[in-house]
Amino acid sequence: MSIPRPQGPPGAWFEAMGVTPELTRKVLGMALSKGGDDADLYFQHSASTSVHLSDHAVNQANTHVDLGMGVRVVVGDQVGYAYSEELTEGALLAAARTAAEIARGGRPTREVAVAKAGSHPNYYPVRTPWSEVDMGARVRLVRAWEQAALAQDPRVKRVEAWLSDAASTVMIVRPDGRLFEDWRPSTLGMVRVMAEEGDVRESANYNVAARAGLEHFTDERQERLVREAVARTVFLLGAGKAPAGEMPVVLAAGPSAILLHEAIGHGMEADFNRKRTSIYADRMGSRIAPAEVTIVDDATLMNARGSLNIDDEGNTTESTTLVEGGVLRSYLHDEISARHYKVKPTGSGRREDFRHAPLPRMRSTLMMAGPHDPEEIIRSVERGIYCVSFANGQVHIGGGDFSFYMRHGYLIEGGKLTRPIKDANIIGNGPKALEVMDMIGNDLVVDEGGWTCGKDGQGVPVSQGMPTVRVGKLTVGGVN
Amino acid sequence: MNELHDAASRIIALARGLGADEALASVSRGVSTDLSLRDGEIEKAQESRSLSASVSLYVDGRYSSHQTSDMRPDALQAFLARAVDATRFLEADPNRRLPDRADMGEAEVELDLVDPNPPAAEDGRARLLDLEAVVRAAAADLRVRSVQSWLWRGRYESVRHTSHGFSASSETTRFGHGATLSIEDTDGRLPEAYSGYQATHASDLLGPPELAADLAQRARERLGSGPVDSGTYPLLLSNRVVSRVLGALTGGLDGTAIYERRSFLLEKLGERIAAEGFSLYDDPLRPRGLASRRYDGDGLPAVRRAIIEDGRLQSWLINTYNARRLGRPVTTGSTSNLLIPAGVRSPEAIVQSLPRVIRVDSFLGGNTNAATGDFSFGIQGALFEGGAKVASLSEMNVSGNLLRLFEAWSEAADDVWTYGTLFSPSLLFSDVQFSGR
Repeated sequence: MSIPRPQGPPGAWFEAMGVTPELTRKVLGMALSKGGDDADLYFQHSASTSVHLSDHAVNQANTHVDLGMGVRVVVGDQVGYAYSEELTEGALLAAARTAAEIARGGRPTREVAVAKAGSHPNYYPVRTPWSEVDMGARVRLVRAWEQAALAQDPRVKRVEAWLSDAASTVMIVRPDGRLFEDWRPSTLGMVRVMAEEGDVRESANYNVAARAGLEHFTDERQERLVREAVARTVFLLGAGKAPAGEMPVVLAAGPSAILLHEAIGHGMEADFNRKRTSIYADRMGSRIAPAEVTIVDDATLMNARGSLNIDDEGNTTESTTLVEGGVLRSYLHDEISARHYKVKPTGSGRREDFRHAPLPRMRSTLMMAGPHDPEEIIRSVERGIYCVSFANGQVHIGGGDFSFYMRHGYLIEGGKLTRPIKDANIIGNGPKALEVMDMIGNDLVVDEGGWTCGKDGQGVPVSQGMPTVRVGKLTVGGVN
Repeated sequence: MNELHDAASRIIALARGLGADEALASVSRGVSTDLSLRDGEIEKAQESRSLSASVSLYVDGRYSSHQTSDMRPDALQAFLARAVDATRFLEADPNRRLPDRADMGEAEVELDLVDPNPPAAEDGRARLLDLEAVVRAAAADLRVRSVQSWLWRGRYESVRHTSHGFSASSETTRFGHGATLSIEDTDGRLPEAYSGYQATHASDLLGPPELAADLAQRARERLGSGPVDSGTYPLLLSNRVVSRVLGALTGGLDGTAIYERRSFLLEKLGERIAAEGFSLYDDPLRPRGLASRRYDGDGLPAVRRAIIEDGRLQSWLINTYNARRLGRPVTTGSTSNLLIPAGVRSPEAIVQSLPRVIRVDSFLGGNTNAATGDFSFGIQGALFEGGAKVASLSEMNVSGNLLRLFEAWSEAADDVWTYGTLFSPSLLFSDVQFSGR
């Protein structure tokens, strides 16, 4: 099941559940009843469906419905938060009373205005919403992926496939009368393959994700989904271990942006800088990378998984330039950090759902194309590795150390890709890696995979993209 | 709890009325509060109250599962109607049935999972101010950038009903506290150390002075860190991070991975997968255990079992569904509290006894190839030579294969970590590949 885009006049999406403008005003009044600088209400109704194919049968489905409201009260840098899964007046007021405790001892400081719906652009237009797609059509899609994967290579012995879609309706209400609604669709298709050759067995997967409807699964994209899942698995059958130690690392265009996300992106989230625990605290305006490096965090890419029409505090989203020509230009701000730094919010206040307070987060993090031909970059390396795909990454914000896990790659010897390698963790230090990020390719690719970023126990969908890049020195976790 | 039982039996009745042949419903409720303090000021105070239901439906030989937090009666009815309809579109699976009623039940033991004497909830701010003061005192020799401390508590209840008459309930309390210390290194880096604890009973948590001493020492050991030469070294895996490596190993026991033939433990049942003397047990019946339970995910009575005994793999994790698909006996679908028996020497004595050894204190990223058991993790830790620490380590990886790693296991220390769902001492392995400079 999936929630269709709600109909009705602006501000009316939750009225059928009894959430009237008068009620939201009362709840905000309660939230600010003990003082507090600001408050917000975040209503959410979401539903998701997934179907799963295993061993030749689409014999499992899952649906998930979530409904609730989170209320936040802000006093300076302090946050009081509570939520309710019931949208009755009594439950909403009780949650607001709890959140108000953060300002205990104060007196009501402001009048709550009557909410008036505002508008925003739409970065995720949908042609065929999932609410109009029946289960039978979903079953036929994943069935076709399995058939295609089995037909592609005789070494493929098992195929699993998933198709999931979700839509979330959110409404954000502020004491100054601002009210925004957003309908957020998303989908993810994934194929996992197990292949055998002799007594070697390997398994890998590929997935595609977007804020889109059924139209996202064009013939061409479905064909690539299956082809990549099979190719990545049979690649592993013939791949060897990576070497160990420090060496130049060339990152293929696209998913390599996991390096960008871990080594740089998290350090740009302003909460870490406001608390002065980020290695990039106090570096604004200074050079942190070679002049070829420009990095943006963009909420406005059409139908990207990381795109947002409006952030989860009701602020306008944008493409934020973080690093321009190697110079640090902006952090990613939510309202608390924007007030702290006396700048405009960048529309980066995000939350996993109504159970969580927003934090500054990435959306789609991209490195802009540079001057070098990708072939030229590979040719420049005497001995190193070329990384094609990745599983996961992590960073220590203060120390700056980051790591990411390569699943597929090649050894580079004498400027040429030689043997295939697999499964190596790669580790480095963010500022040091940026200094030696010495060749930027001219081939920016935004990865189509379904990345989820975790921070403080909250997962949010993100996108990332990068051209081919050479990093002069990173530590590769292989064997010698 | 009665409300939850009522909700679960209502869901079963609705599902049956809508055409489901069999159904399983779980309803869970939780209340928790979290408080965090940074540098003397409250950072966040949160209260969470949740109530949600999950339902498994068996309709005309077809299976689906569903979750909702929208418990309004009309919404629930509509939700279940759509769920039953959606199930009819799937392909039939003869192995999807509830477990036999006669096999279901609860272990008859008192697990002591509810703290009868929790500390007063109102004292949170004062306790965190005290914890921060103790941390700052313990870190007096360090240049402290920031101290964050936190405290949380929760109470969770859940019930499970099936359409063939099984019903059971469980209840637990949880308490946690911890702190993060951010310090200044001489080169501008700001290393952080973390020390956190959780328990079912508040009195089982480590006290603030011990927590502060542990945290300050962990931070101190981050100063001036960097890589040493690549090569093979003995590895002493600190007790609190054994779970990272062991989780990769137990991931290979999963019945679905076995069925899909993508586990590196596929042909290993009954075989040696670790050095002689290495054992791993699953103990759901441990009093006060964070993962203790009287019944498992299928509603089968929980029992203690050996996973690995004296180096041999004794048991995969096979739930009812995978047992039917594989034609094998059921064990249990998931682990609870995992136990690795303690040895006799302290970690310090082990370090003293070796010419050189790398002690791994934390991991940074990394992953495992679940089909082959190959792993590669980023690490932080320390290099000891002749019993003395000679370097703090960062920007290094440890790599290898899980089967070969556990074959190279040589000793368990005496320091069992009791604040998680893995009760393990520090473990020593010989000849492990590290990559650094």
